[in-house]
Amino acid sequence: METLQLEVLTPSGPIFNGPAKSVTLPGEEGEFGVLPEHVSLTTLLQAGVVDIQKENGKTESIVVNWGVVQITHDKVVVLVDGAVAIRGDSEGDIAKALDEAKSLISSVADSNTMIASVSARIESAAHNLV
Amino acid sequence: MANLKEIQRQIKSVSNTQKTTRAMKLVSTAKLRRAEELAKRSRLFAQKTNQVIAEIAARIQCNKVGGIENRCFLENDAPEMIDIIFVTADKGLCGGFNMQTIKAVKRVMAEYKNKKVKIRLRGIGKKGIEFFNYNEVEMLDEVKNLSSAPDMQRSSEFMARSIDDFKEGKIDAVYIIYNGYLNVITQQLHVNRVLPVDVSAYECDVEKDSMLEFEAQDEEKMLDSLVTKYAEYNMYYALIDSLAAEHSARMQAMDAATNNAKEMVNSLKVKFNKARQEAITTELIEIISGVESMK
Repeated sequence: METLQLEVLTPSGPIFNGPAKSVTLPGEEGEFGVLPEHVSLTTLLQAGVVDIQKENGKTESIVVNWGVVQITHDKVVVLVDGAVAIRGDSEGDIAKALDEAKSLISSVADSNTMIASVSARIESAAHNLV
Repeated sequence: MANLKEIQRQIKSVSNTQKTTRAMKLVSTAKLRRAEELAKRSRLFAQKTNQVIAEIAARIQCNKVGGIENRCFLENDAPEMIDIIFVTADKGLCGGFNMQTIKAVKRVMAEYKNKKVKIRLRGIGKKGIEFFNYNEVEMLDEVKNLSSAPDMQRSSEFMARSIDDFKEGKIDAVYIIYNGYLNVITQQLHVNRVLPVDVSAYECDVEKDSMLEFEAQDEEKMLDSLVTKYAEYNMYYALIDSLAAEHSARMQAMDAATNNAKEMVNSLKVKFNKARQEAITTELIEIISGVESMK
């Protein structure tokens, strides 16, 4: 299975750097998925969830508040302002990440619907982790 | 004998100072490592952001009639008002670190004053602010406790004012002046122009084969929001770079102070021994002459 090289960078350091099977991004014009060999594209992201399908079949969710994505055929670079990855070794860690993600999203999102939908998505993602 | 006690007291006081400076050096070394790591990780983001901005700007420049219209990319040869943002440390005891920045600020200010350009000075860091307050130089705003604990959100809020004013046309350029980190023993002074962004270095034909596609309608919009982030990020980076430099400067200064204290203790010890010898000799002479007179 082919993979794409994904980098998620924030001003305080990389959050994700590695191969992925596919990635779903919250584009300004709506959500879109990227598979390997995608056409080159650069676009803005809005606050939302980046879903990564990793090489080993597991998924990882990263909550972002703003971003730009640059896609070249086998490489995806996501530049974001603030991001929280929903991951952790224990339930406590995951719960902490969830709280951080929720506060991040409520600090930028202006509509309650968006906050609710993002919260629901990350909660289900967290549920799958446990 | 009084002299002896006095010297002993001095030795004690100097070696106490030495202990303090050595501790401060160790603290700075540890903090430097952390700050350096932070700066290193952050640089990756800077590289990519610059790359993306340059690509988009070059593309618009080459494909659109009349080139870029966005104010943030246009060179302005006759600025009327500029923002100068300086970053100094909140604390002293770091050698010439703060003074270098202050001197650079004064130099740049003098340069623009000669050209009859109005300057808005915005300060970060207690030391620089104190200096300009003392010299009665007017400042637009002052932020303390940010350079010792860089924070993306606070620096963005601070920067937002300059960015907004620039976009509205109130100011024509934004400069950031800070003393950055080069390596453990050297600091490098940076005078960076953040806005307008300099994209003249990127040639049109570089992008021809990259086949970059955009969501067509939002090129300008994307550029606009990218530039804001770019400027905010530059501010943040200046802060963390300056913090790393501050620690390295302090480390050096404290190292020098420790060595000086060591030398001082040595020379005081020599002085002490001499004085002691002198006291013994005097005492001996007194005893001998006493014995002689008894004969």
